[in-house]
Amino acid sequence: MTQILFKNIDTPNLTSIDVYEKTLDGYQSLRKAFEKKPEEVVEMVKASGLRGRGGAGFPTGLKWSFLAKDVFPRYLACNADESEPGTCKDRDLIMKNPHLLIEGMILCSYACRIETGYIYMRGEFWEYEELMDKAIDEAYAKGYLGKNIMGSGFNLDMYTHMGAGAYICGEESALLSSLEGYRGEPRLKPPFPAVEGLYGKPTIVNNVETLCAVPFILMNGPEAYAAIGTEKSKGTKLVSVSGHVKKPGNYEVPLGTPTIDLIEKYAGGIRDGNKLKAFIPGGSSVPMLPASKADVPYDYESIMEAGSMLGSGALIVMDDTTNVVVETLRLAHFYMHESCGKCTPCREGTRWMYQILTDINNKKGKPEQVDLLNDICDNMSFKCFCPLGDAAVGPVASSIKYFREDYEELIASMKTGQPVGTI
Amino acid sequence: MDTATQTDMVTLTIDGKTVTVPKGTVVVDAAKKVDIEIPVFCYHEKLGPFGCCRMCLVEVEKMPKMATACTLAVGEGMVVKTNTDKVEKAQKGVLEFTLLNHPLDCPVCDKGGECPLQDNTFKFGPPDTRMEYNRFHRDKATPLSPVITIDRERCIACQRCTRYSDIIEKDQALVMRNRGFQNRVSTFNDEPYDTRFSGNVIDICPVGALTNTDFRFSARSWDLTNASTLCGHCACNCNMTLGTRLNEMKRITTRPNDLVDDGWICDKARWGYGFTKSKNRIAQPRNQGHSVGIQEACTEVAASLKKIVEAHGPNSVGFIGSGYGLNEDLYSYQKLFRMGLGTNNIDHKTYSDTTGLPVAHFDLLDVETSDLVVLIASDPTEELPILDLRLKKAVTRKGVSMIVLTDQQTLMDKYSALSLRYNVGSDGDLLAGLNTALQGQSAGSDIENKTGVSADQLKACAEKIKSAGKVCVIYNPAALTGSSIHTLKQCLATAGGLADTQVGAMPAAPVTNAVGAMDMGVLPDVYPGGLALSESEAIKAKWGDTAPLDKGLSALEMIEKAKSGELKALVVYRSNPVNDFPSGHEVGEALKKLDLLVVHDMMETETAKLAHIVLPSNGPGFDEGTTTNIGGRVQLRTKGLTTDNPADWKIVSMIAKVLGQETAPKDVNAVTAEIAEKVNGYQEIKRSAIRREGKSREAVTSVNVTPVSDGINTGNGLVLRVADVLFSHDKILDAESDLAHQFQPSTVHLNEKDATGLGVKEGDEVRVTGNGHEVKAEVRVSNRCNPGGVVIPKVSDEQGLMFLVEAGQTVSRVTIRK
Repeated sequence: MTQILFKNIDTPNLTSIDVYEKTLDGYQSLRKAFEKKPEEVVEMVKASGLRGRGGAGFPTGLKWSFLAKDVFPRYLACNADESEPGTCKDRDLIMKNPHLLIEGMILCSYACRIETGYIYMRGEFWEYEELMDKAIDEAYAKGYLGKNIMGSGFNLDMYTHMGAGAYICGEESALLSSLEGYRGEPRLKPPFPAVEGLYGKPTIVNNVETLCAVPFILMNGPEAYAAIGTEKSKGTKLVSVSGHVKKPGNYEVPLGTPTIDLIEKYAGGIRDGNKLKAFIPGGSSVPMLPASKADVPYDYESIMEAGSMLGSGALIVMDDTTNVVVETLRLAHFYMHESCGKCTPCREGTRWMYQILTDINNKKGKPEQVDLLNDICDNMSFKCFCPLGDAAVGPVASSIKYFREDYEELIASMKTGQPVGTI
Repeated sequence: MDTATQTDMVTLTIDGKTVTVPKGTVVVDAAKKVDIEIPVFCYHEKLGPFGCCRMCLVEVEKMPKMATACTLAVGEGMVVKTNTDKVEKAQKGVLEFTLLNHPLDCPVCDKGGECPLQDNTFKFGPPDTRMEYNRFHRDKATPLSPVITIDRERCIACQRCTRYSDIIEKDQALVMRNRGFQNRVSTFNDEPYDTRFSGNVIDICPVGALTNTDFRFSARSWDLTNASTLCGHCACNCNMTLGTRLNEMKRITTRPNDLVDDGWICDKARWGYGFTKSKNRIAQPRNQGHSVGIQEACTEVAASLKKIVEAHGPNSVGFIGSGYGLNEDLYSYQKLFRMGLGTNNIDHKTYSDTTGLPVAHFDLLDVETSDLVVLIASDPTEELPILDLRLKKAVTRKGVSMIVLTDQQTLMDKYSALSLRYNVGSDGDLLAGLNTALQGQSAGSDIENKTGVSADQLKACAEKIKSAGKVCVIYNPAALTGSSIHTLKQCLATAGGLADTQVGAMPAAPVTNAVGAMDMGVLPDVYPGGLALSESEAIKAKWGDTAPLDKGLSALEMIEKAKSGELKALVVYRSNPVNDFPSGHEVGEALKKLDLLVVHDMMETETAKLAHIVLPSNGPGFDEGTTTNIGGRVQLRTKGLTTDNPADWKIVSMIAKVLGQETAPKDVNAVTAEIAEKVNGYQEIKRSAIRREGKSREAVTSVNVTPVSDGINTGNGLVLRVADVLFSHDKILDAESDLAHQFQPSTVHLNEKDATGLGVKEGDEVRVTGNGHEVKAEVRVSNRCNPGGVVIPKVSDEQGLMFLVEAGQTVSRVTIRK
């Protein structure tokens, strides 16, 4: 089994720089990088086929090469605002192996001629901020950060920055607004961050997992990385498996592993001998899929073909005791709560959908409300300012598409009684 | 079309119609050119693309998703569709969302009838809603400030107001708070939103969320009669709409003119017109305190003046006007005195100024197109607020650099690339130093001693001027002392002679028609159009052989001569020397000695109280005619209210008629036409030509005249600078004004060093003494000026601040004691 990100991750005291250096050849990739020109490092990452692990799956090397030419300073903002329901992989990486992230960030910064890096951490990560800060201090003390790193002439400063607990700040442009001290609202694109990002300067925004994969590429060559996975989805992916499985947790698998294997082999199968009913392959923002599609290979293209998205790699599993309406209601509540309020369809639509779903859950629903929900989804999808609006549509539209009978069953009962579930 | 222009233009198709627009235009604006309306809420052309309301979704060929037409820049060959089924469904969907939690209280909403939400719903919206839950309720109608009411239920979160506060005002006073459907427009900590320009958010709000507290429930928009008029406060002459009902002022709104106000007005323009219904207005003519008819009053004025001229000669009478009059009124007055009475005892100000400029007279738009703005002795924020917004725009969004050369800190400092603070009263030396530096020489080592600004700093300033392609100098002649205005014009001439640098200037005295008053020759030594007395042939050709050619008395000299008894009669027009002239209490004593004091004014003043005859002036709202703003732009001020009293120029013409002056003009247009004929520079100023955007008058001849006051006296004490304040509690903004919350206490700003020397600290009550008078003020240790200087803002008429200033001075020495 290939382990890149989770290799030896449970080594005691791996958060200490000495243990990291000893156990994982920590920071050795910097020597390799500094022997090359920055552009060569970008080319290596391009050749590795590494794609953004935050959700969109955009090729990382390509993103790095989009930085506005000859505009300085440039910034690196590591997106550690891991807020997607179901996703907890970045937390594991930060909590257990902070130096891997720092190393990845140094490589990215060197490749992109960046001298300032920020780690934007979700508000709830306050205890890991301390840990991260300590790791950064250690890296400074060893000369991996600061001026003239390892005699290369390359300088880099690194800071952590805490968010205040807003899901929207995981969207890259909202993250930058928040990092600048403004209200966390997404910005108009174009200009994209690579052209005008933090403080109006070219900025790379990369997910924690993405950056953590870079040291391997430097150490082992892009070919080694590209050898893992499928034709278009290269490398390994951390998958946070949660829900009705016996062993929920984070698993690192080569991309292309059948989803059913993740559920059965890695996560120990469905609980209590129940059957799989539905699964959300890539975090709450992507459409859910029925059990019949469980053999879909876990890679970007296959899941897309199956009608969903790999997203941030959070596999949420639901067994046949689940009424999908209740799960949808919970997610609708989440999106209503997290909508920043900037654009009309998301601000108003998320709340309206929540109101309708609450009624249905409370057995007060009306048959025509299912089509109304569908139409609200249609009025929202691809019409919102940022992807959060589309994300809010995902669970509702897909639950109606695959499990309309769950809605109809609740609506048919039509008498006020105990709600089917609670948020 | 040359090639450069061609590449800057983009051609696209919208609903099958081809349109060519400049590169960078957004689709919404391009569509307007071919009469296609794409509905918007959040988009406002002055605020730029934002894209939050999603109302303007359109289909674009080759784009997978629908695009917001307000954020989408045009592309060559782009094919946009705004009328497909998909677009229609999106529009209906977005409007349904927009109205989901909107209270639909249109019948009692002030915005009703002029509401984009109403209009867009009517044109593009669904016939009803599918929302069957209770709407989200919030507090109705809460004060956002004493003058603005916010109804957050009506708000559709388009963020126009918050972006205005951020992008235009540069304050970020108004922000969005909270998240999702609970978000709300607010200030931090719910402090009142009481900036200088807060009212504009009412006009740009596309729903009835932000309303004018004063106007609330007082009229429906369709019942208003709207007059396209100009603001009569500062010298920007912003365009505004005066809404009246049954001959009563109801509200004032913006009337965008990019060449003047860029679409905004300040709060003084919006709420500073309470004087139109004030009980302190001069309603009727008075003779010796008794109400008389206007004809009787005019006859009396004429007869008395004639008698005095016959007994004591023409130079025994004089006229003190002001920049508050319209060109027509001022022109008529100077003509009355020159041609009817034979004297040049005509003036309108207490500071030195000369007509014309040795360089181009720049218009307000030039501020944005210059590379460098040099602000001299001017505090636009308090004096010319719309210029403040224009400068912020120029610096933050147009890449213009700014140098600030002032004797006091201003809010412009933080936008400047170089900000130099000279000692209060040292402007003459400073400008001489700058002139030397502009000529490439060192201003000398003692310049720093004299002015607080070093030769190196002046050199840096000169270098910046020399290296800029286009330089716009903005200076306030009223804040210069002694004869500095001449030095300033020498600087302009030197800068104007620089190779590769285009230099223009804007004389920025704060009074409404300050430039017009100069142009109309309300001066003792210059005829209208900058015709100096020395040009006797030209004067005779225009004004006839009887035109007086000897230099008249300046305003300050007239006061002196009144005191000595040599001046027997004085007509004071729209001016209040007793309160506003230096050493006002002495002025009052002097005026009491006159045989005849005629005051022609709008409001009751300290001077009017002393007058034998009082004539009513109608003033803004009621009057009609032209004013010339600081950019030299002549615009038409129309009336929205009517009164039985004749117009000011008409009163002058009635007096003139009794004196036997030739035919009276039949209406104000006739006076405007006469100005075009008689005043150099105004030939093209015809009513038809200026109706929409106004028109720049040709620059008037540059004339050097003798200064009216000397420099600062040497002696002990700190040098007092009287600073203008936008919301001054004066005759115009009386205690009942909507803006009373903006009035400030009397404060004295000291430098730390002087405060330590005097043993006073922040918040101390002190007595400021000068010129035998005393003013109480609270200490602010603000370093607003250099050591040795002291700044007192003129916050009210009651303050009696000008009593501290010695006669004939702009700045004066004072002592400060606890």
